[in-house]
Formats: sequence, structure tokens, C-alpha cells
Amino acid sequence: MKTLESRIGALKTKFDESLAGATDAGALEELRNEFLSRKRGRVTLLFEELKSLPPEEKRSFGRLVNELKAHVQKNLAVSLKGSIRIKSGAKGKLTVIEDDADRDQVDLTLPGETLPWGAPHPVMLFLEEIERIFETMGFSVAEGPEIETDYYNFEALNFPPHHPARDDWDTLYLGENLLLRTHTSPMQVRVMEKHKPPIRIIVPGKVYRREAIDPTHLPMFYQVEGLLVDEGVTFAHLKGTLDLFLKRLLGDKIGTRFRPSFFPFTEPSAEVDISCLICSGRDQACPVCGGTGWKELLGAGMINPQVLKNVNIDPERYSGWAFGLGIERAAMFCYQIADMRTFYENDLRFTRQFFLK
Amino acid sequence: MKISLDWLSEYFDADIPASQIIQALERIGLMVEGREEKEGDVILEIETYSNRPDTLGHLGMARELAAALGLSLKERRWPLSELSTRTADLVDVQIWDDNLCPRYCGALVKGVKVGPSPAWLRKRIESMGLNSINNVVDITNYVLFSTSQPIHAFDLGKVGGAKVIIRRAKKGERLLCLDGTDLTLAPDMLVIADETKPIALAGVIGGQESAVTETTTDVFIESATFDPVSVRKTRKAVGLQTDASYRFERGADIGFAPQAAVMAASLLTAFGGRVCEVPVDVCPLPLKKKGVVLRHRRITDLLGVEVDPDFIQRTFRALGFDIESKQPGIWQVRVPTWRVDIEREADLIEEAARFFGYDNIPAVVPPLQVVDPIPDKIRQTSRQIRPLLFHYGFNEVIDFSFSDAERESLWTTGLEPIEIRNPISIRTSLLRTTLLGGLVETAAWNRNRGLDAIQIFEIGKVYFREEQGFKERLSLGMLSTGMRDEPHWRTGRREADFYALKGTCEALLRQLRYEPFSFERADRPFFEPGSCLALALKEDKLGCLGRVAERIRAALDLKQPVWAAEIDLDLLFGKQPRPFAYQPVAKYPSIIRDVSLLVPRDVAYQDIRQAVEKLRLPILEDVRLIDRYSGESVPQDRISLLFRFVYRHLRKTLLAEEVERAEQQILSQLKRNFGVQLREGGQIDNRTGKN
Repeated sequence: MKTLESRIGALKTKFDESLAGATDAGALEELRNEFLSRKRGRVTLLFEELKSLPPEEKRSFGRLVNELKAHVQKNLAVSLKGSIRIKSGAKGKLTVIEDDADRDQVDLTLPGETLPWGAPHPVMLFLEEIERIFETMGFSVAEGPEIETDYYNFEALNFPPHHPARDDWDTLYLGENLLLRTHTSPMQVRVMEKHKPPIRIIVPGKVYRREAIDPTHLPMFYQVEGLLVDEGVTFAHLKGTLDLFLKRLLGDKIGTRFRPSFFPFTEPSAEVDISCLICSGRDQACPVCGGTGWKELLGAGMINPQVLKNVNIDPERYSGWAFGLGIERAAMFCYQIADMRTFYENDLRFTRQFFLK
Repeated sequence: MKISLDWLSEYFDADIPASQIIQALERIGLMVEGREEKEGDVILEIETYSNRPDTLGHLGMARELAAALGLSLKERRWPLSELSTRTADLVDVQIWDDNLCPRYCGALVKGVKVGPSPAWLRKRIESMGLNSINNVVDITNYVLFSTSQPIHAFDLGKVGGAKVIIRRAKKGERLLCLDGTDLTLAPDMLVIADETKPIALAGVIGGQESAVTETTTDVFIESATFDPVSVRKTRKAVGLQTDASYRFERGADIGFAPQAAVMAASLLTAFGGRVCEVPVDVCPLPLKKKGVVLRHRRITDLLGVEVDPDFIQRTFRALGFDIESKQPGIWQVRVPTWRVDIEREADLIEEAARFFGYDNIPAVVPPLQVVDPIPDKIRQTSRQIRPLLFHYGFNEVIDFSFSDAERESLWTTGLEPIEIRNPISIRTSLLRTTLLGGLVETAAWNRNRGLDAIQIFEIGKVYFREEQGFKERLSLGMLSTGMRDEPHWRTGRREADFYALKGTCEALLRQLRYEPFSFERADRPFFEPGSCLALALKEDKLGCLGRVAERIRAALDLKQPVWAAEIDLDLLFGKQPRPFAYQPVAKYPSIIRDVSLLVPRDVAYQDIRQAVEKLRLPILEDVRLIDRYSGESVPQDRISLLFRFVYRHLRKTLLAEEVERAEQQILSQLKRNFGVQLREGGQIDNRTGKN
């Protein structure tokens, strides 16, 4: 491509020579046409040629061609003015120089141009935070069906038919043995049926309860289930994991409390409370904890050996733990949202805020 | 469960401060949810669990507390003033169904003077939130809340033939209940009957006819055990939940039935009652105490901490278990009859942990381990979509999965919705068959609150009924209305429209490599006629997009046009995306030609494009429509489309003749197929200023 460079040099020489020989405005105009005509000007053609060059070469040769153009324009302008002055009477066309002067007058404080941005739903955002924390601990994430059978939702989880324990999970029924899952726990069974230990998984998803809508209850909400099955898994591990998880999610200042509870599918079972960061238990009228200093956040426990047997995992060799966390409840605590219904009104002025956090 | 601390103190010698009681109970999982002071007494509302019917009385709570605090329970004695007549000579008790009634005890108290309760009894009854009725009824309630064993009092004078038969109801039999309900009974319900008719619904409620009244003198006390499942089914069928059924369906203490009868009889002696000798105790099946083996090593293995064996023995003994060490580290444990929750070793380990204290178990993060991931492909792909949609300015929303008949008929998806059998309201009686309905409602909600730019999407399930059963499918819904963003001095006002939404759909499919896809005109009731396209990948319809029908907008009072799209993600993700393969970047320059074509108005862009693609010109790299014009210089029946053709050869610089040849092929193909002409006498702008 040396030739292009030398051609540019040759053109410049040619222009200089022609300019020196030009005696009137007409000759100058002819010279301008020869080099700058918008269709066939020599400089114009060079610009066309540039287009087919690879980008790197385009840049360096582009500079040369631009320099040539500037050289031609400048010298023509000077000569034209000169020719008018010297040879008065001659009708010279004034070349309009593209003036960059008004660039300095542009108001740089005008607002910049932005693209509209869409925001995730706060429940999903919160869920993603939870998933990230567990992913760093080697957990996979999977989802399961919302329409479940009685077997997966209850029986395999050690709820005998007609047991009053079922009343604690107010169920919406679709058919004789079909229902809307009342918790994400059926996936414990589905996962353990398919995979051999060690298993580390969390299962986020929608769950349903036969509840009237009010500020703290919804007939549909999100839960995330956690499950760890391996040799030598202990209740101490459950405590350690949930403690770490809650601190990462809600901050190091959060305290946790495990207290005995009952779930048919875990034993021992626990409910896990977090310390109230709003009043620290000092305000009897605290809207978050009611003055107890604690807020109930999740249910957990060691997997009941009967559940392991139901999926053909030997409970003498393996043990495991599981937990279930209500997402909205946790998010409400985290952001001090008073009314759970807000999440599903989908007011964009509400949902879009959380993207900024 | 309400617990009166004054009542609880009947079981202890020493006074225990309320704060200590609350602390001890909460430590073992009996959480205090409410507290009320009443006539010098403290009434606690305590959360109990469905597997622990033994805690549904003061005795059970006292047992827990005693074990937690290391105290012993005070024995209470129930002396009787006895007659020489044997109970069995005056009442004939027969169990006809020993599966549903494994034990029936009865005490007959003669000469009772029915009247108002004394102050101490009224206080107890009122502390449970009940109204005092008379001394006999109050005593039955007193026994229930003391011991959690429900008992019932019959007026023996009204029990026909003095026969008490525990049997299944006969078809069509009726019972007028204590609360006034007139029940028609079914053969799977267990009743207490006299020689002719039912006098009580077993474990649920007594009958009015045999009830104790002011004129009653001979009271027959029933203290029985009924099958939990049977009681539960019956009380559900008749829609009656009573303090008795609540306990029976959780499991009563079969060992305690005779004592409860004696306790009630003893209390009735204060009102002139004389008790017949040898209370009835029909127990057809032998009582077995459950035995469970407990291994110390197993406790350590599950809790992750070693619990002192002496502590374990002490705790179980305090809770009324027999515990014996068979060999070092292994115990044989016998379970008291009131602990219906204990079946297995794990149940015992839970008890050990509960009393050991969860706070005393250390918190240990499990060691890091390489675990095989459990992939969920659909989830992963659907998560990839979201950032793309955010990029295009769409906001994520989540709506309830519920719908109702009225809304479904408005959305008219043609799918058969799934009904919820026991909905809480009509508004939530079906499951949604589309995401679009919720999106339009959300748009209306936001519009009504003054929002101008509404671009939203939801990724969620839709549900419908098919011949093979119920289906749930993952779907993507998108909606766009109003402005696409806020007005701006450089971009002006960009309004939502069909092509903006279509472009988002196209970008999604392209970026996920689901190609080649195509659109076809379609007709869906959700969309305005003539405004709707179906989206297809290969042969399969994956979804549709269009302008939301006028009638739907009118129903939601949305005045502005609304565009929406729905894509079946389960179907889409079931397809194989085009495999990704790296393409070396072309070394040789492209030649770009912009060509203006006069196209008859009835020819669709997609047809032109497909005709060009069909030529399979190896040097044609890209075709794109860059302008569209109709006006003075264009004949009425035609439209001018400006296409940009990009030509490139991968291994050499293209010659002008090669491009011209390709161009001619394209033009003649389009001319032949559609009568397309070059605009302005065949001018081709090769972007050099030359023709």
C-alpha cells in the first residue's frame, strides 16, 4: 500500500503546481472541482477508496487524505481571497469554509442521551441474591412443578393421609390427588429420587396456600428450599450454614435463634428467628417483632429418616438437612415493606426502585 | 392452647415465677404467642404442634415444664364416694367397632344435683375463654383442659334401655346435636347409641336429647379413645370442630381414659354424686407400650455434638419414659401412652435435642466439597432472557396465578382452565391460561396511576386442562403501551408500537439462536383483527403478538393502544438452538449496494426476503430494509423499499462484475415472482456517487 501514500504525495505536488499556475478565479474554481468535486474530485475518490481498507490502515491513510483535503481547501481559500483582492473585478466564488467555531458555543450541560432500562421484580432480585450466596457454597439451583400430587407434597414427606399436620398447610386442591404445592419441599423428594448423595441444591419457586389476601398473607408466594444430603451431615452444619447465609443476606449484625418446632419431614425440626434490627427488642409496639426482639424467618431441620427411606437413601449411612424460607417475608424485613400485597400490585414506581440498590 | 399459670401451679409444690415458666417453655419450643392477666391469673396463649396432643392440657404442659426445669410433678388424688352397685349392672356398654373405638370407659354417678358451678370452677372455665354452663358440663371441660382427655356426660335417664353402644351410624339416622345442628349421619361415622338411636357423634359432639339438664340426677361419664382418622373425617363431613374432636383427631392417651372418668366422678361427688363401683372399662385390644432403641452414637452423629448420657436418661425419665441401658451407649426406651408422636429413634433424638437446647449445639459450616451440579436447563435459559428484556426497556412483573370465569371469557385463550376445588373466593377460582390478561391489568393499574411509559413482561406458568390431564407451561408475556421512554430533547417522543415489540421478540430469538423463525398472519380473540402475527419456529407455533383487542382495553378502561406478545417457553426451550460456532472475521472488504425497489402493495416484506434467501447467493452476506417510502414519486399501488445488500467474498476481494451478476439475479427473481421494479429507472446507489 506504499503506492497509496506516494499517490497522495504525488497529488499534493500536482495541486501545488496547478495552484501556482492558476491566474484567475476561474482557474481556481476549476482546480477546486478537480480535487474536491463531490462526485469525481480526486480527494473525494481517495475517500471512497479508503472505505475498502481494513480499519487499521483506514486510520493512518485517512489522516493523510484528510491532511491533503485540508491543504487543498486552505490554499484554495487563501488564493481565492488573494485573487479577489489583487485582481479586482474578477468574479470569484467564495469558498465556504466549514467553520467549527460554533462547536465552542454548544451547551455541554444539556442532558445526555440514555436508553430506557427495564428492572427486575424485587422478589426475583432478592431470590437471585439468595441463589448467589448458596452457589458460592456449591449448591445447584433447580425448579419443580407447581401442580403436585398428594404423594410428593405430603405423603412422601411423612404426612400420613388425614393427619392434622396437613391443616398447617392449607391446601388448594385441583383434583382427588392433585393440588397446588403448599411448599417447595416436594422437590426434596423429586431430587433425592433422581440423584445420589452428596446433594446440595436449592429450589426457588411459587407456592400456594388457601389464605385470604391481607397485609401479611397471600394465597401465592415464593419460597426457597435448601437441601443437603451427605455422609456425616449434622444439625450443627444446619446451624452453621443458615447462620452464614442469613448474615450474608441481611448483614453481619443479624443474630439468629433456633428453636424447636415440628415438621413431619424433618427431625429434629427448628424454626429460625432473626434478631430485630429495628428495635432490638426494646419497643413493645415494634411493628416488625412485636417487642420480642425476634422475627420468625424460616423453618428447617434434619431430614426425617423416613423421608430418606421413601427415596431409597439409607438413613444409617446418610443424613441431611433441609430448610424453607419465605422470600416476601424476608424481603419485607430487609427493606421494611409493611404490606406484602405491594409485591403483586406491580406498581412500577415500587418495583423499579429495587434495581438501584 | 391457653394455659392458666394458676391452674398450672396445681401440679407443682413450689411457686415458679411467670418469667421462668415462659423462658423454660420457649426453650423447648412451646412459644408464648399471647399473654393476658385476668383476676390475678396469667393466661398464656401457647403455640402447640399437631403431633403433640398431650400438650393440649395443663397436665401435659406441666410435664414438659417439669422436665425442662428438673422439677417433679405433684400427684393429685381423686377420691370417690362409692355405692355398692356395680356400674356394669346399671349400664350396658358394648363396642361394636373396635377399630374405631379401641377403648371405652364409663363411670356412673348417681344423685348429682345439677346447678351453678362454684367459684373456683367458674374461674378455671372462664380462664379458658368459655362460659360456665352448669357444674356437670363445667367439670367435663375442666377435665378436658386439665388432662387433654375429652369426656362427655350423658343423662342416664335419657339413654334408652340404659344401653351404650358404640357403632357405626345407619344410613339415614339423624342426630340433633348439643349446638342445635340437626345432622343426617352416614354409615362411615361412629356414633354412641342407646338401644334404638344415636345419642352422640363419637368424639365430636353430644346429642341434645341425652344431654344433662337441671332435672338430671344420674350422670354417665364417657371417657373413651376413638380412631383419629375417623373423628377427623366425621368432623370434616359434618363441618363441626370441637375441643373434643381437635384432641381426638390428634390422638388421645389411651392409657389415661379410665383415670379421666374417675377424675370427673370424683369432682361430681362435691355435688351430691355417689359413684357406682368398678367403672366400666371396655378395652377389646391389648394395650402395648411402644419400645424404641436409642443409640448414643446416633445422637452425636445427627446433632454434631456429644450429649451427656446421664442427661439423656434423666430427661427421658422426667418425661415419663422408661429408659434402660442394654449395653454401653444403647438404650431400650419404653414410650408412655400419651406420647403418640414417638415411633422411631429419630423421634427420641429430637426430644434429646429439644431438652439439651438448640443453643447448645454449635454452628459449624459444612466442609467445602465438590458436588455434581444438578442442572435445570429450562430455568437457566429462562434466566438468560431476563437481562435481554431489561436491555430492551421491559420491566419484570409477577402476577398471581389465579383467574376466574369472567376474566377467562374476556381473554378467550381457547384453553380449558383448571378449576380450584376449594377456592377462597370466586376471584381466585381458576388458574390462568395466559399471562397476557394479568399484564393488561397491570398496565391499566399503572396507567391509572399516571405512568406514561409501560413496558412490562412476566415469565411464569400458565395452566390448562387437556385430555391427558393438567398441564403447566412456562410462558413469556410482554406488553408495551404509551411512551417507550421519557421524552428527550434529542430523541423526541418515542411511542410504543407493533414493530418495537416485534423487534424485541426477534432479538430474543436471535440472541438465543432459535433460528430460523418466521411470522405468519393469525387471528386470536385477544388481539384486534388483522393486527396479529403468530410466531413459528420451523413448523411449530410458539406464540403470537399483536394489538390488544378493543373490547379488552374497553373492559379495563385503557384508552391508548396496547401491544402484547406471548411465547410458550417450554415449547421454545424444547427446540434445539442453532449450535454456536466461531466464524473467522472476513479479511476482504464488503461491497455495499443500496437498492430502491418499487414493490406492489400486496407483496409482503417477508416474501421478498425469503425469495432473496432462496437464491442462496454465496457472496450475499446480509440484506436489510433500511427505508420505506410512499408518496408523490411512487405509483399509488406500489411502495418503495430501500434495501441494503452487503456482498462479500471470504477469500478474495469481490469484483464489481460479480456483484452486478448477483444483483441481476436478485432483481430478475423479484421481478418474476412479484413484479418488483427498480425505482427511478433502475438506479442503483453503490454509495460511491457513481452510477
